[in-house]
Amino acid sequence: MSSLSGLKEYIKEILTGSKSLLIGMGITLKRLFVPIVTVQYPRRKLTMTPNFRGHIEAIYFDDTKSHHCIACGLCMRTCPSHVIKVQGEKEKAGERKYGRKYYIDFTKCSLCGLCVDVCPEKTLTFSHEYELACISRWDGVIDIMKRLEERP
Amino acid sequence: MLNIKTIDDTTINERVYQLNLGPQHPSTHGVLHLLMKLDGEVVVEAEPIVGYSHRGHEKMAENRIWEQFLPNTSRIDYLSGLIYNHGYCMAVEKLCGIEVPERAEYIRVITSELNRISSHLLGIMAFVMDIGAFTPFLYGWDDREHVLDLLERVAGSRLTYCYNRFGGVRNDIDREFCDGTRRFIDRLRGRFSDYHNLITENIIFIKRTRGIGIITEDTALDFGVTGPTLRGSGVGYDVRKNEPYSVYPEFDFEIPVRKEGDVMARYQVRMAEMEQSMNIIEQALDGLPQGPIRSKVPLFIDPPAGDCYFAFESARGAVGYYIVSDGTRIPYRIKVRTPSFSNLFVLTRILPGNFIADCIATLGSIDVVVPEIDR
Repeated sequence: MSSLSGLKEYIKEILTGSKSLLIGMGITLKRLFVPIVTVQYPRRKLTMTPNFRGHIEAIYFDDTKSHHCIACGLCMRTCPSHVIKVQGEKEKAGERKYGRKYYIDFTKCSLCGLCVDVCPEKTLTFSHEYELACISRWDGVIDIMKRLEERP
Repeated sequence: MLNIKTIDDTTINERVYQLNLGPQHPSTHGVLHLLMKLDGEVVVEAEPIVGYSHRGHEKMAENRIWEQFLPNTSRIDYLSGLIYNHGYCMAVEKLCGIEVPERAEYIRVITSELNRISSHLLGIMAFVMDIGAFTPFLYGWDDREHVLDLLERVAGSRLTYCYNRFGGVRNDIDREFCDGTRRFIDRLRGRFSDYHNLITENIIFIKRTRGIGIITEDTALDFGVTGPTLRGSGVGYDVRKNEPYSVYPEFDFEIPVRKEGDVMARYQVRMAEMEQSMNIIEQALDGLPQGPIRSKVPLFIDPPAGDCYFAFESARGAVGYYIVSDGTRIPYRIKVRTPSFSNLFVLTRILPGNFIADCIATLGSIDVVVPEIDR
């Protein structure tokens, strides 16, 4: 008697099991007729959202026809990975400092955004570039002042 | 249930076979090394060997200012980085007595729960792929992509977010984000029936998970197991409910618990938890208050000398930050209690006596993140 009920169970399991497999295949079959979800990257490109964090860059201001960096060095000090180098100079004695050189080693940057938060002149922002592959580690060092001059 | 007699010690040396599962094995979720002693296909002894991705986060904290540890927190557990961010900020705010605006707390809860959904989706789908189903993995990643897009819109990055700041959050959320989140929740609810048909009721999945890798309630408590693994063993402990923090007491949600303690139970707990997370997000979006997103906090904080412990619930279990300050801008000590470590070592108890194929299922169901174990 027990073997008979065991056999019944066994056959029932085979039937329900096969049914569950067919249901699963039905779902995958349905998927054939759904438009593709991936972006065909080199031919189609995504636009980044306004909050996207690329490497940092200086903002161009119309009033000075340049950036507002005063080379205070707060970004340099707050950076967790010490990737920022900023150097400024005074045109005349007694004047405010003015940022001349600004390098960031993007290969070590962790994109935390602390430098942007801490900037007292609000002259830093994130770029929206994401195609940053390079063949040498020196290509990862970004000259921000040069980028500002060469901006489109 | 397997009922295999243990091998007596006299025969062990002749019959035992040592197998290194990992550290470079596709189903060990990173660089986990399991040293297993086998008798045929049956595991006699299993020992996890950790430390391959030790990066010294706790030591790093001791030579940088409090703010500079923020990017580290999301790299401890890279799959639920926002929750770790949230917890670290709350720990420091507790020590300094910083008030957080209500809107910021709501945003933190919304983003944390979205992060929990993305982590559970990855955990479940990678686990299902480990035991042989490749299709649900791709569907799950399709859904996860939507979460990442939403989080990228608000936080700026897709995986290692550094979004929470002391006293609030970095960016405000906009209407588009709220609408996108609601659309995503509707979409995911619709997809759940597909997942249940494709995974939960699939005969192969049931055969490979039901009654496998049973963690009893006592074993779970002995090893200090937390998170969905504990709740799959019949203990309804969740830090969000038992020791409420942030604005969680304002929301109405349940803690899913399963009694069985097997691989299937842990899977079902995770699936149910995603639904609860969606409920929390909906309630938070409905009651989102207006106001500032960050309170007035000095540029560099100076916490008073003292220590505090802060516990919160990540996607894998209870996490704790124990922070000690000596009154300077540099932390004296930051200790992170991570859940995967205790969840992993329960394997030494439950794997012996099981087949090696079931080890993969058990390991996947515990959903460990190896960098979180090593820190």
